[in-house]
Amino acid sequence: MLPFLLTRLLRVVTVLVGVALIMFLLMHAIPGNPWSSDYSSSPRAMIGLSMDKSTQRELDRRFGLDLPLWRQFTRYAIGDFAEDGSFFCGAVCGNLGPSIQQRGRSVSEILFEPPEGKTFLQSRFGYSIRLILFASLIAVGLGIPLGLLSGMQPYSMSSRITSVGLAALISIPNFVLGLLAIIVLASWLSIIKVLPDWDSAGDWIVPALVLAVLPMATIARVTRASVINVLNADYVRTARAKGLAESRVVLDHVLRNALLPIITFTGPTLVEMFAALLIIESIYSFPGFGREYWSAVLNLDYPMIMGLTLIYATAVVVVNVVIEVVSEILDPRIRMARRQGLP
Amino acid sequence: MNALLPWKRILRRRAVWFSLLVMAVLGSVAVLAPWISPHDPYRQEIAQHGLPPSWVHETGRPGVAEYPLGTDRFGRDILSRLIYGTRTAFFLALAGVSLAALIGTVVGLITGYAGGRLDASAVLFMDMIQSLPGIMFAVIIVLILRTRLTPSWLHGMVTLVVGFAAVSWVSLARLIRINLLQIKSQLFVEAAISIGAAPRRIMLRHLLPNVSHVVLVWIINAIPAIILLEAVLGYIGVGVTGAVDGGEFTVVSWGGMFFSGRSALSSNPLMLITPSLCLLLMSMSFILLADALEGAYRQQ
Repeated sequence: MLPFLLTRLLRVVTVLVGVALIMFLLMHAIPGNPWSSDYSSSPRAMIGLSMDKSTQRELDRRFGLDLPLWRQFTRYAIGDFAEDGSFFCGAVCGNLGPSIQQRGRSVSEILFEPPEGKTFLQSRFGYSIRLILFASLIAVGLGIPLGLLSGMQPYSMSSRITSVGLAALISIPNFVLGLLAIIVLASWLSIIKVLPDWDSAGDWIVPALVLAVLPMATIARVTRASVINVLNADYVRTARAKGLAESRVVLDHVLRNALLPIITFTGPTLVEMFAALLIIESIYSFPGFGREYWSAVLNLDYPMIMGLTLIYATAVVVVNVVIEVVSEILDPRIRMARRQGLP
Repeated sequence: MNALLPWKRILRRRAVWFSLLVMAVLGSVAVLAPWISPHDPYRQEIAQHGLPPSWVHETGRPGVAEYPLGTDRFGRDILSRLIYGTRTAFFLALAGVSLAALIGTVVGLITGYAGGRLDASAVLFMDMIQSLPGIMFAVIIVLILRTRLTPSWLHGMVTLVVGFAAVSWVSLARLIRINLLQIKSQLFVEAAISIGAAPRRIMLRHLLPNVSHVVLVWIINAIPAIILLEAVLGYIGVGVTGAVDGGEFTVVSWGGMFFSGRSALSSNPLMLITPSLCLLLMSMSFILLADALEGAYRQQ
């Protein structure tokens, strides 16, 4: 297990470095700089109106934007010497740098520190994580039982209706769903607030549900297909033939063997949820880090873009590794195949 | 495997008929746009701005039959903009998905067939791309290209097409590569190699036909994705063309309707609802069709 984990770790680090490099090059290829006034009504324009060349040069120097690109990257990733000659450490030490847009605050402060007198859960990061967890809980908690129930009796009327319903749910884009939910529930029926303060659990239900619909339907479908597949297996017939209780058959024989495909599908589904989070947060003006991301990209807040990209990529990579390890633990065949050097 | 074979089977399903019907309707709306739209989608009638839909009479300014869905704040007919938006959506889908499918197929075939170090580094690169948030990646590409191309109605579409293709080829390349791993070890490939067929011939004549069904299902699934991307970017304010925040969309598109509809949510919610419903129908028809096709291929 240890060499496996080590090679995984090496790969994770390589991917993260590559992600940082790609994003760094791309964002610097966007024309303009954080103080230019390309876009008519952005906050940058207001600064730009009164900013003369020497101020701009001074700001460039302070944020290190006057350095050559490769030096800027090493400064961000590894670190650099400050004015007084002391060394400060970069992203490798978890220092995500100062934000350009919100002058005077560091990227980690903005993302991880809650407002005065609140707990960590009220920070940008805390909000997003809670929304993702809430939605995953709905997706898994509804998806697996639904798939299991309809998979156990695949030819019943209710199972067929579920199957059609799930296909329909999968084809609804969550952007459209979220938008229609706002129009119908908030604007017409006034059931939810248009601009909630996100302190009561009721405010969370709609965005979490919108976020959960797609993964829930995916998980339910995979579970259904997987259960139907397993039900036809010989060992299930044997288990029934030797007179095991139906509950034992379902839990010990069917669910356990059906679990592996479910878990391998849950990984990509969760990763897609991170991407959907950026859209849903923007639709609902949710105070998580998705909104920070949009404004950072549009205003060229370089350190903020890098920080958020790294956090996002880390989350994706970690989810992928966890899925891989879990499926190894669940299925001895994968473990054996790897040990024998098979693909 | 014959890519056309399961059509007969899936035509028995009602969902497929629904899909094909929706596609036919939207497709003919896109083609016939100049003949069926009641107004020029670009023409501004300032005197008629902000009209409600024609069936609303309670408000101070009643709707008129001339503008069935009302007008936006520049006095442009919403129905006509919706109809012309369908055209834009279909153009985007055609161009964007073909480009992405081309890159994905080529990369997938080459890496899957070659294997070895080339394959390993390609997979690493694809891992990196897929660890980036796809929508941000697309937005950044749009932002990079937007000011570099000469402004015309085409350039906004081109940036979006490139942005979409840059992100989405990866998933197709991956699918093809995984499928090739199994196909590659089969006897007919070995036979082709042993009679001295060139790698290009093996890839195009022997491997590609065996993954064509994967490509087809992927294409059908990708069509709603690019139209959705345009709509989301419109809603957030990164236009197909035009400036960020407050700029006006110069191409009539569903994304542009989302952009202007957002500020008209209380006065005329139809500006958001109609393109939403179009997106919904379009997305459902393509994804249900892809789903049915995939099921049919799996049964084969």
